[in-house]
Amino acid sequence: MSMLIFYILAIVAVVSALMVVTLRNVFHSALFLVLTLFSVAGIYVLLEAEFLAAVQVLIYVGAITILMIFAIMLTYQITSKSIRQVNEQVIPAVIIVLVFFVLSLVTLIKTSWPVSNKSLPGNNTFEIGRQLLSTYVIPFEVVSIVLLIALIGAIIISRQDGPSRPGQEDR
Amino acid sequence: MMPPINWPVIYPELAICITAFIVLIVDLFLPGRHKWVLSLISIFGVLVALQIVFMNFGLKGDTKAFFGMVVSDATGLYFKTIFCIGTLLAIFVSITYQRREFPEVGEFYTLMLLSTFGMMIMASALDLITIFLGLEMMSIPLYVLAGIYRGRYRSREAALKYFLLGAFASGFLLYGIALIYGAFGTTNITRIVELIADGKPYSPFFVGVGSVLVLIGLAFKAGVVPFHMWIPDVYEGAPAPVTAFMSAGPKAAAIVAILRIFVITTPVIDLTWVFWVLAVVTMTWGNILAINQNNIKRMLAYSSIAHVGYLLVAITVGGEEGVSSAAFYLLVYTIMNIGAFAIVVLFAEREEFYENISDYAGFGSRFPFAAITMTIFMASLGGIPGTAGFVGKFMIFSGAINHGFYWLAVIGVLNSLVSIYYYLRVVVAMYMRQPQTRLVDIAISPSLMIAIIITLLLVIQIGIFPDNWLSLAKQAASLAF
Repeated sequence: MSMLIFYILAIVAVVSALMVVTLRNVFHSALFLVLTLFSVAGIYVLLEAEFLAAVQVLIYVGAITILMIFAIMLTYQITSKSIRQVNEQVIPAVIIVLVFFVLSLVTLIKTSWPVSNKSLPGNNTFEIGRQLLSTYVIPFEVVSIVLLIALIGAIIISRQDGPSRPGQEDR
Repeated sequence: MMPPINWPVIYPELAICITAFIVLIVDLFLPGRHKWVLSLISIFGVLVALQIVFMNFGLKGDTKAFFGMVVSDATGLYFKTIFCIGTLLAIFVSITYQRREFPEVGEFYTLMLLSTFGMMIMASALDLITIFLGLEMMSIPLYVLAGIYRGRYRSREAALKYFLLGAFASGFLLYGIALIYGAFGTTNITRIVELIADGKPYSPFFVGVGSVLVLIGLAFKAGVVPFHMWIPDVYEGAPAPVTAFMSAGPKAAAIVAILRIFVITTPVIDLTWVFWVLAVVTMTWGNILAINQNNIKRMLAYSSIAHVGYLLVAITVGGEEGVSSAAFYLLVYTIMNIGAFAIVVLFAEREEFYENISDYAGFGSRFPFAAITMTIFMASLGGIPGTAGFVGKFMIFSGAINHGFYWLAVIGVLNSLVSIYYYLRVVVAMYMRQPQTRLVDIAISPSLMIAIIITLLLVIQIGIFPDNWLSLAKQAASLAF
C-alpha cells in the first residue's frame, strides 16, 4: 500500500517538476512548483519524518512559492507573456544532463545503503530540536546569520535612495 | 561522552562577527559625512581578530569544539591569518573609493566582514555541513558587493551572473554532501576517517561521485577551469576594491576547504590524476586567455585563474610539502594581488575609468612611485626572482619535482614564462608608450597609500628573506599530518 502511494507521489513530483521547466507561462510554472513541493512533503510523511513534511509545506509551499506568485503578479505584464525556457544550447545540455542522470542512477542502484536497525525515537520533533541545539548548534547559529545577511543584502540592492548615478551609466 | 564546548576556538570568528554588527548598528546613527568612522571600527575589529588568531596558536589541549564541528589547528589558524590580512588590506583599499562612489552604503563594511566570517568558518570547519554554511556565508555578501555599484550596468550584470552561477554551484556541493552522507551516515570529516580506519565497508563508486560533486562546488568558488566562466565578467564588473577583496580571501577559503576534504584527511579515494588534469588545464587556459586582454581587471582575472592552477599543482603533490607550499603561495598571492589592485584603484581615482592597459601609457614619468610599485607587483605575479612570487612558485615547483611530478613542473614553469609576457605589457605601456591624452593629477589618499606601502614592503621582504614566512607555512602543514 505504502509502495503504491510512494509511486503516485513520485510520479506526480517528477511530472510537475518537468512542467515547471517546460511550460511557457511563468504563472503556471509556479503553480506546478507548488504541486512538486507538496508531493515531496507527502514522501516525507511516508518516511515518518512529520517534522520535515510540516516544514516543507510551511516554508516552501506556504512562503516561498506564494512569494514567487506575488512577485509574478506584481511584475508588469509578465503573466501574459509566453516565454521560451530553452536556448540554442539545449542539445548539449540535454546530453550532459542525461549522462549525469545515468551516472547517478547507476550510483544509486549499485550502492549498498547502510541501514540502521534502531527504531525511530517516538518523538521525532523533540529529537531534532535537541540535536539542533547541541551537536548542530554552530551550523544552526551560522544559518541565522546567513539569513540575516541575505535580508540586509536584499535591502541594499533594492532600496530606492541607493547609489544611483544616472550620469555614470555606461551603457 | 560529549566533548566540551571549548569557546576560545571560535573567538576570532566571534570578534569579526560582533564587529560586523557593531558597524551595522553604528551606521544607522551616523550622518552621511561621518561614515569613515565605520572603516576605523572595521579595521580595529579585524586587528583584534588577528591578535586572537595569534594567541590561539598557543591553545593547549583539545582544539576541537562544539561537538567536533569546528577545530582550531595550525592549518586553520594560518589561513585565518591570511583572511585577516586580506580583509585588512581590502578595507584600506576601499575607504576612499567607497566614500567617493557610494557614500550612503555604510553596510559595505558589514558585508565585507561577514564574508570574512564565512571564510573563517570554512577554515575551521570539520564537518561538511559547516563547510557548506561557511561557503554560503562567504558568498552571499560577495554577490551583493559585486552589485553594490548599482548605477553601473556592468556591476549589476556581475552581481546577477555571480549569484545565478554561484547558487548552481552550491547545488552541486550540497548534492555531493548528501551522497557522502548516504555512504557513511555522517557528515563529520573526523568521523568519516575513523569509520574508514575501522574497516567499515563503503561503495567507492558512490563516495567517488559524491567527492567529485563536492569538488565541483568548491572548484567553482576557487575559479578552476572549466568552472571559471564567471570570473572575468564578475571581476571586471564589480567595483575595483571589491574585486581586490574577492580575488584573494574567497579563493583561499575554497582552497583550504579542498585541502581539508581531499588532502589533509586520509583520502578516501585517489583523485590525484583529477587534480593533475585540472592543474594543467587551469594554468594553461588562464595564461593563454590573459595574453589578449586589454582591460587590466580582466587581465588580472585571467591571471588569477592561472594562479589557482599553480595552487592545484601543490594540491596534486599533496602531503606535507604540497600543503605547506599551497599555504605559503596563498599568503604571497593575497598580498601581491591586493597590491596590484590597489594600484588599479589608485589610477581609477579620476573622472573617467582608467581600466585599459593602453590608458596606462606615460604613467612611468608622470607617477614614478606608483609605476615602480606596479612594476614590482607585476614582476612578483610573474614570478621574477627577488620578489615574493618567485619564492612561492619555487616552493610549488620544487615540491612537484621532489614527488616525481616532472611533467607538471615543466608545464608550470612554461606557463610562468608565458605569464611574464602579459605582465610586462603593463610595464611596457607605463614606461615606453606616449599618452594619447594629457594626464591629469591624481589625489593620493592616505588609506590607499598605507595599503600600497604595506603590500610593497611585504612583497620585497618575503622575496628576499622568506625564511620566517616559510617556516610558518611549514608549521601549518606539519601539524596537520
